[in-house]
Amino acid sequence: MKTINVKINGENYTREINEDMRLLDFIRDELKLYGTKEGCGEGECGACTVIMDGVTVNSCMVMAFQANNKEILTIEGMEDEKGLHPIQQAFLDEGAVQCGFCIPGMVLSAKALLDKNPKPSRKEIKEGISGNLCRCTGYNKIVDSIEKASQYLEGEDQ
Amino acid sequence: MKKRGFGYGCIFYGTGYGNGFPDISRSIAELDTKGHINIYVGATEVGQGAKTILGQIAAEALDVPVEIVTLIHEDTSITPDAGTAAASRQTYNTGNAVKISAEELKKEIIVVAKGLLNEDHLEISNGVIRSNTSDKTLTLKDIAEASGGGFLRKDGIFQANTTEMDPETGQGNPYWPYTINAYAVEVEVDTTTGIVDIIRAACSQDVGRAINPSLVEGQIDGGFAMGLGYAIFEDINLDKGRIKHNRFTNYLIPTALDMPEIEKIIVEDPESTGPFGAKGIGEPVMIAAAPAILNAIYDAVGVRLTEIPVTPEKLLKALKKREG
Ligand code: FES
Ligand code: FES
Repeated sequence: MKTINVKINGENYTREINEDMRLLDFIRDELKLYGTKEGCGEGECGACTVIMDGVTVNSCMVMAFQANNKEILTIEGMEDEKGLHPIQQAFLDEGAVQCGFCIPGMVLSAKALLDKNPKPSRKEIKEGISGNLCRCTGYNKIVDSIEKASQYLEGEDQ
Repeated sequence: MKKRGFGYGCIFYGTGYGNGFPDISRSIAELDTKGHINIYVGATEVGQGAKTILGQIAAEALDVPVEIVTLIHEDTSITPDAGTAAASRQTYNTGNAVKISAEELKKEIIVVAKGLLNEDHLEISNGVIRSNTSDKTLTLKDIAEASGGGFLRKDGIFQANTTEMDPETGQGNPYWPYTINAYAVEVEVDTTTGIVDIIRAACSQDVGRAINPSLVEGQIDGGFAMGLGYAIFEDINLDKGRIKHNRFTNYLIPTALDMPEIEKIIVEDPESTGPFGAKGIGEPVMIAAAPAILNAIYDAVGVRLTEIPVTPEKLLKALKKREG
């Protein structure tokens, strides 16, 4: 057993965990945050994407103890008192969500991209989400939403 | 060397179970005590948009705002059977059942309203019951209260009209309805690596009537992505009945970088038996993509491949063979 301290969606958690626990299971089973999905469990699909200290990671490939003293954002942390995050709103407005299984990961990859590059080209957006597989949407409306989110965020900044 | 080519693929596709197999959808439309509409159907939403479209159909049939319609589905203890979310049949089959139940409920609402207002010529318009001969109105809540606080409920049932085809004469009605589409793609083939890149694509899809055009576009994008995977990436590699490519490291599906922009042309030719003319497109939007891509490869490099997926190795082998 090991004790870890992690900040997830702005809240501090201290937990005793098994050393072989994956971050994904810590998030889902320990903290009961079920927005993070498990697709492949081997780092290929991006359904389990979370943002750790500003960069996206596949939480199925990170051990929970590696998150010690780190700051993590999951899909549950995107919404605030004002409501949905502009990226989430853009996904809704563009009709980019079909079954939804890939969407938490997509939204977080989009956030990590837009944080670094607020006005990405379509090519850059496609690169930014190329680690997130989607079986339903053919990606085009997701790319549209990230473009729209970039406009929404620009509007907010002004 | 990089070579470009164009290809086309067209299909017609019979939606529904077909061949006389009982293809039945059931729906219940209900006016609840708050004056809201609930639609109960066993239809499954898997991302294709059934939930959205069925609510729209009910709202349109009743002439009420879509916001007051709640779709209750996927709970077999309270919903009637609407068949599988398969065979591109939910929009057409369950859409028809929902429309019938909503129309029946509308009639019932008018009957109650006639009793309350003592008027004969009534209609529902944007959620309000109005008289054609006076300025009397009623709300749906008034109707709900007048019916003893109970729920008004009406069933709708729809069965697709197909028959088995006679093998002797070729006569019959194996599917109903059919839908038609055409894809055009431009590819770029790298003759050194065998990699095929899709430069752009266009899809024209006959939808009968687009109940929700944005969802139709989403289906086209998604269908093309699946057809693209089918054409050049996805190989389950069956070996004595076992799937050898059973993970995403060897079973490759398209990523965002593999997808072209798709010009979408929605063709509306209302289907007379469809709900507001609509029919299903879930599978059709996938099917024509692979033949269009293989035709484009042929146009680009002159080799006719008949086995999918056209992986870089297979394409290089075929190119070598031709040079012989
Ligand atoms: S579940 Fe982690 S990458 Fe697929
Ligand atoms: S919306 Fe279904 S996997 Fe992306």
